[in-house]
Formats: sequence, structure tokens, C-alpha cells
Amino acid sequence: MRKRLRFILGNRDMPFQAVLVCFGIVTFFPLALVVITSLKSNTQFYHNFWLPELPFQLGNYSSAFRIIWRYIVNSVLYSGTTICLIAAIASVAGYVFARFRFPFKTVIFLAFITLIMVPGVLTLAPRFVLVRDLGMVNTPLALISVWVSGGLVLSTWLMRSYFESLPQELFDAAYVDGAAEWQVFAYVSVPLARPMIATVAMTTLISTWNDLIWPLVTITDKSKMPLAQGLMQFSSAYETDWGTLFAGYVISSIPLLCVFAVAMRQFISGLTSGAVKA
Amino acid sequence: MFSRQAASGSSSHSLRLSRGPLPARIWRAKWLYLALLVPVTLLLLFEWLPAFSALYNSLYIWNGGKVHIYVGLENYERLLSDRTFRVALSNLVGFVIFRVVMQTVLPFFAAEMIINLRSARWSYWWKIIFVFPMVVPTILNYLIWRFIYNPQVGLLNEGLELLGLGAYTHAWLGDPLTAMWALSFVRFPWLPTLQFLIILGGLQTIPQEVHESASIDGAGFWRRLFFIDIPMTRRQITLAMILTMLFMTQRFDLFLVMTDGGPGYSTMVPALQLFQSAFSFLEFGYASAIGVVLFVGMLALTVINLRVSSGATAD
Repeated sequence: MRKRLRFILGNRDMPFQAVLVCFGIVTFFPLALVVITSLKSNTQFYHNFWLPELPFQLGNYSSAFRIIWRYIVNSVLYSGTTICLIAAIASVAGYVFARFRFPFKTVIFLAFITLIMVPGVLTLAPRFVLVRDLGMVNTPLALISVWVSGGLVLSTWLMRSYFESLPQELFDAAYVDGAAEWQVFAYVSVPLARPMIATVAMTTLISTWNDLIWPLVTITDKSKMPLAQGLMQFSSAYETDWGTLFAGYVISSIPLLCVFAVAMRQFISGLTSGAVKA
Repeated sequence: MFSRQAASGSSSHSLRLSRGPLPARIWRAKWLYLALLVPVTLLLLFEWLPAFSALYNSLYIWNGGKVHIYVGLENYERLLSDRTFRVALSNLVGFVIFRVVMQTVLPFFAAEMIINLRSARWSYWWKIIFVFPMVVPTILNYLIWRFIYNPQVGLLNEGLELLGLGAYTHAWLGDPLTAMWALSFVRFPWLPTLQFLIILGGLQTIPQEVHESASIDGAGFWRRLFFIDIPMTRRQITLAMILTMLFMTQRFDLFLVMTDGGPGYSTMVPALQLFQSAFSFLEFGYASAIGVVLFVGMLALTVINLRVSSGATAD
């Protein structure tokens, strides 16, 4: 017992741990309350705001799931397609920019990179008119085409920097072995660039998954809405049914939770180590 | 076949291949252009065309369809005398300043605590704990905070009641005096993931020896914080601030979901006004003018910010 006490009090980490624990509690408190409330009926909720109360209303989850599942499926399809397209196009473009010299390369690259400074609000209204005139309103194409082109800017730049950082010897070795250019790309470069492709996929996933405004102006059909937009519908439809509402909130957080359970480590190390060099 | 851009090893090789008249070099690079065809087309169509369309149409009265009348700089003149825009702009300035401070200080503070831990296992777990809220879709942040501010059964008011401060309960989003503050505190204790990881990455690159020699010289936690950690992560801090500034200036989903600019115009911001001009009032020309002004403002702020920070590092 005494040994244990000394371990706690004498530990140099202790003051920092204490602060972090407080901070962690405050961070998770709203989430915990959402989960607790999702298991209550309205009567239980009004009667007892803070604590969980038996019996748990698991029915909240099934009635929320009946609405939410479609939005989740839509979002998975839209974001998934976008991620695949961006990963493929940005790898090729990044490779070309990193490994070759050709006329007008700088101009073309500038056409990519200067777009980083063009904010989405500037292009929002004219882009809507364009997409409308192309007849893409209320189709998944409206979302995917714009998400892909928007995401390409940063992704191509990231892929280019990554391919540039690979040592020349690797490529020379492949050329000496008689590999054609496409083989060098597909069997040497892409496997080596897997961490960066993962980073690109992750950032694309987060930005498309959370995009609300663009679906709001282009998608009107409930059955085609992605999750963010669907949740807005859902929240106004179930405004006063707190249990079902919060059950829907919990369900809609699960997909990203699964992704992060798998990729959290890589995501954190990718962003903390590679993103900005001091 | 192609001219490879190569490091020292095969430079003669690439030099030879990149010689010759321009048409010949272009022809030789035909496969490269083909490879870039898809992304370049996409960017021209969905990025550059709308960007120039916004510049061009800011000089027109345009309903997004057939009505298209040249009016010169009238939209910009109207913007100068638009009271709503002035209110929106001053709301935005206050909001952005508050958010930039909050979203830099908070993650820096947490990151500082984490790198001070000796236990590598714990610091790993704390990182995960603080990154965790990002699995919650952004829109849910707003909806959850709308519940927190709910006047009847909100977390904040219930909490005040519980603490015996029932006199202070309030319709946080319904009162023009508190609505903007309430919005500024949305997502409050949750760390902004990107900014947190950038700053944490900066702190982690400070070599162990620097901290060790500082502690040998008798520097305590606070001296170390102000004389080592903050100066040495200045670049990451600047980047985090610029990112927050750019995000907060152009993202208006928070305002759209929580208050839609109200009550009155107390939570109106320029980006939301742009959205409403275009999609509620079909004034695409006016919306474009607002967009252009925002774009120029953001560009200027970024340049100033970079100047100031690079000037500061030069000292």
C-alpha cells in the first residue's frame, strides 16, 4: 500500500497526468451523455437527465438504424469511390511530376498548386451552376466529380513530394533489371508510397464524409443523401424523441470509429512526423 | 523513352533525352501528357472555370440562369454600403480571433502535457484519446452542441441547475447577446485534430538534449515552455493558426446548422451571407462579389501571417 502511494505521489508524471485526466473527462463527458441518453425513453430522460436508467431502450437503436443505414451506405459508396479515384489519379500525376522533365511541366504544376489558395466559398455558387448545367444535380456524380477534383490539389502535391523523396538508386536498380516505366511505377513506386497513399485516403475520407454544404445544394432526393446531410434531416424529424435521436448519433459515428480502430496509429504518426518539418 | 528527372547518377542520360527542338520534346512526352489529361481536365472544369466564373460574374446581375446584366462594380459598391455585410464581417473578425487563440492554445497546452510524460505508453494513449472525437461526424458536433445549449433540456442549463446556479440558465442561442459566444465555444474542450497533431509533431522534434541541458541549467517547466518549446515550434504554431483562420473564414456550416445567422443578424458571417444570396435570393452575381472579397481578404491575411512569422524567425 505504502509502496503504491509513493509510486503515485513520487511519480514525476503525476501533475501532468492529473491535468490530462481532467481534460480527458471534460472531453468525453458530452459523448458519454449522448450514449447514456440514447438508451432512455423520453420519460426516463425528462425524469432523470444525468444517470443511466433501467430498462435500457434498445428499441431506440433499431428505429434509428432503419433511417440512418441508407445514409451510411450512400456515404460509404460516395466516399469510397472518391478515395479510389483520388488515390489512382494523384499517384500517377504525382509520379509524373516527380520523376520526369517535360515541356510546360512548371505551368501544369502551377495549375494544380495555386488552387490551394482558392477557397471553396468563392467557387461554390458558380460551381453549382456548372454542375446544374451539366445535368448532374441530384446524382452521385455531382458529389464525386467535385470531391475528386477538389481533393486532387493537395493529394497530387503530397504524392509528388513523396515520390521525390525516394532514393534514385531504387529506380536505377529497377531500370537495370529491365523494368519498363509502368512496371517501375506499379511494382516499385506505388508499394513504396503506401504510407502516403494511406494519408491521402484518410484526409479524403474525413473531408468528404463531413462535407455538408455541397450535398445540401446538389442532392434533393432523400434516398441519395450522404450521411452528413441525412443526419440533418434525421435530426429535424426526431427533434423531440431524444433517445432515438441520440441512438442515431451513436450509430452514425461507428463507421469512422471502425476505420480509426484499424488505422489510428498510422494516421497519428503520419500527421505528427511527416506533415511539417521544422 | 522519356526524359527522366534524375539525381546525379543518370543525369547525362536525362540530359540527352531532354535535348532537341520543342515540338520533338513535346511529342516524346506524349504519354506523360496523356497521364495528366484526366486530372488537368477535372481541375480546369471544376476548379478553374468556377473560380474565373466567380470573378467574371461578380460584375453582373445574375440569377444563375437567363438574367445576366453587366453592372460593372455595382455589386462591390452595394457590398460597401450593405449593413448586413458589415455586421457579418465584424462578427467574423471576432469569431476568427477567438477561435484562432482557442484552437492554438488548447492543443498546445495538451501537447505540452503529453510530451512531458515519461511513460511512452501513456503518451501514446493520450494522443489517441484526444484525437478520438474526430470519429464523430462534424455535423454531429454542431447537433450535440445544439443540445448542450438547448434552453429546456440542455446540458449547460441542467448543469447550472445541478450546481445551484439555476438563476444563470439562459436561452444561449436565442439571445443575440450570447448567441455568438455560444457558437464560439462549440466543440470547446475537444481538440482540433489537425492543429493538435501538427503542434504535437513540432514539440516532438525538439531534441531530447535541449530539454536535458535546460533542466541541468535549472530551468523549470515555465521557463522551458517560454524559452524553448514555444520558440522552437513557432513554425507549427503559425501553420496551425493559418489553418484555423482559413477554415473558420470559409466554413459556415456551423452557423447554418445552429442559428442560420440569427437571431436577427447577430450570428451572420460573410460566407453564410454568400450562401443565402446565391441559394435563397438567387443573386449569384452579388454572391460572387462576396466570394471575391473573402478570397482577397484570406490571401492578404495568409501573406501577412507568413511574413510576420518568417520575420520573427529571422531575429
